[in-house]
Amino acid sequence: MTDFARPGDSVVEPLNRPKIVRLHPFGLDGARTGPISLATAVLLLAAWFLVTHYRLVPPLFLPTPQEVATQFLAIVEDGYAGATLWEHVSASLFRIFSAAVIAASLGIPLGLAMGLNRWAKGVFDTPIEFYWPLPPLAYLPLMIIWLGIGEVSKIVLLTLAMFAPVCLSAQAGVRALPIERVNAALSLGAGRWQLFRAIVLPSALPEILTGLRIGIGVGWSTLVAAELIAATRGIGFMIMSASHFLATDVVFVGIGIIAAFAFAFSYGMRLLEAWLVPWKGKS
Amino acid sequence: MLQVRNASVFFSARDGRVVHALDRASLDIDANSIVVALGASGCGKSTLLNAIAGFLPLSEGSITLDGQPVGSPGADRGVVFQKDTLLPWSSVADNVALGLRFAGVPARERRERAEELLGLVGLESFADAFPHELSGGMRQRVGIARALATDPKILLMDEPFGALDSLTREQMQELLIDVWARTGKRIFFITHSIEEALFLGTTVVVMSPRPGRIVARFDLDFVRRFAAERDVRAILSAPEFAELYDEIRSLVHRPHAETDTPRKVLQ
Repeated sequence: MTDFARPGDSVVEPLNRPKIVRLHPFGLDGARTGPISLATAVLLLAAWFLVTHYRLVPPLFLPTPQEVATQFLAIVEDGYAGATLWEHVSASLFRIFSAAVIAASLGIPLGLAMGLNRWAKGVFDTPIEFYWPLPPLAYLPLMIIWLGIGEVSKIVLLTLAMFAPVCLSAQAGVRALPIERVNAALSLGAGRWQLFRAIVLPSALPEILTGLRIGIGVGWSTLVAAELIAATRGIGFMIMSASHFLATDVVFVGIGIIAAFAFAFSYGMRLLEAWLVPWKGKS
Repeated sequence: MLQVRNASVFFSARDGRVVHALDRASLDIDANSIVVALGASGCGKSTLLNAIAGFLPLSEGSITLDGQPVGSPGADRGVVFQKDTLLPWSSVADNVALGLRFAGVPARERRERAEELLGLVGLESFADAFPHELSGGMRQRVGIARALATDPKILLMDEPFGALDSLTREQMQELLIDVWARTGKRIFFITHSIEEALFLGTTVVVMSPRPGRIVARFDLDFVRRFAAERDVRAILSAPEFAELYDEIRSLVHRPHAETDTPRKVLQ
């Protein structure tokens, strides 16, 4: 006796969708994480709400979400420490933007030169390798002594923090350039400048954009340090000033604003990458 | 005519030893011929091609193209690489026209020439596609079109079909013969496939390693026969094809003791 079904029997319900299978994935393999992240955010907010609602932590340490929201609206309406919220935000944005522009316009050409030229690499490697692992807070006093307490010292501090990742990534971009691509261009008659413009620069562009993204992230994390220097405006200043008065809710508002801007910048850089280097990871 | 005379190349290996990569190689590549260099890895065939292309200077000897010494790389020697070297950010047409852009040809003319060449390699409908959208064989066709765009005096091909599957490879060989028959370009072609060498070469030079040198030279007519009759099976099943295959096979696998250069001409 056999259990084999006859050919006709296998098609019992022709409308049935077959079981779709695929190879077992390893790691993330492009799986969607959005809903999980969203649920985590909701859970964290709920935990914050519950912890403060039942006074498990003194309000001085952790204000309630409602207090932070109220404080945010109050700052939007009346400003903080003699300046409107927009004045604080624009002061910080101006510093970050100026520093990013300076760091990019120095770091990208210098990084490319260091990737291409023995002398550029030899001369600039030591100072950059020496200073870039230093925490900005360590050389902050020097900035104040040398450059005073105006905008210059703040922007220079931010520039120094952003410069290294931009410069190092431009170098890495040149190093990642395959020699075959260079040889192909040379045998098509490329001159030195054409080789740089048509081959080296676009080849290094993905790395450069990654460096800029990291640089801007570092910039935001250095902002509070920069605004320690006798500032009267800026989100970092707002946080530091509020902490002196134990105004924890204002500190939370400041942190939230920095987080929101940093996230928006990072997202904007991703969009820029998708637009400028759509071939990334596809060659 | 491209003339290689007593070309020798010595490399310095990483451990400081000197590697004799190419030993007094001499070679002529006449108009309308396909010279195929055949040999196992390390026999100096890529070294020879790199020297002709200008990527590598010679330690001794000379290379001249139409009487002029060959120097740094230039558009008079088109190169097709084994690894595709297309620019991922440029469309297929822009890739083909890259050499024309370097030469300062206006955009409209570049586009016309690119479309013409894409027609030659059977990719006319892919002008606006990007390299990552093409298969390996199609990318190599773009590579061939790109190398032809600047109208070079010679086409140098470094195992261009080595990374392709065998079915695509056969198509590409026939395509190359078509291109050669239509453009009349002289070609220097490198391979480690005996069959490919016999099928494509008007001349096949067999090379052997340590030191890399030319040990035999065969003048063949299979490729002209194919260009005229287009019958692959007749060629592959011809007794003289099988005979040569065996002879070259034993040459390639032989321990490399002899110093004289056997020479055989088949007509």
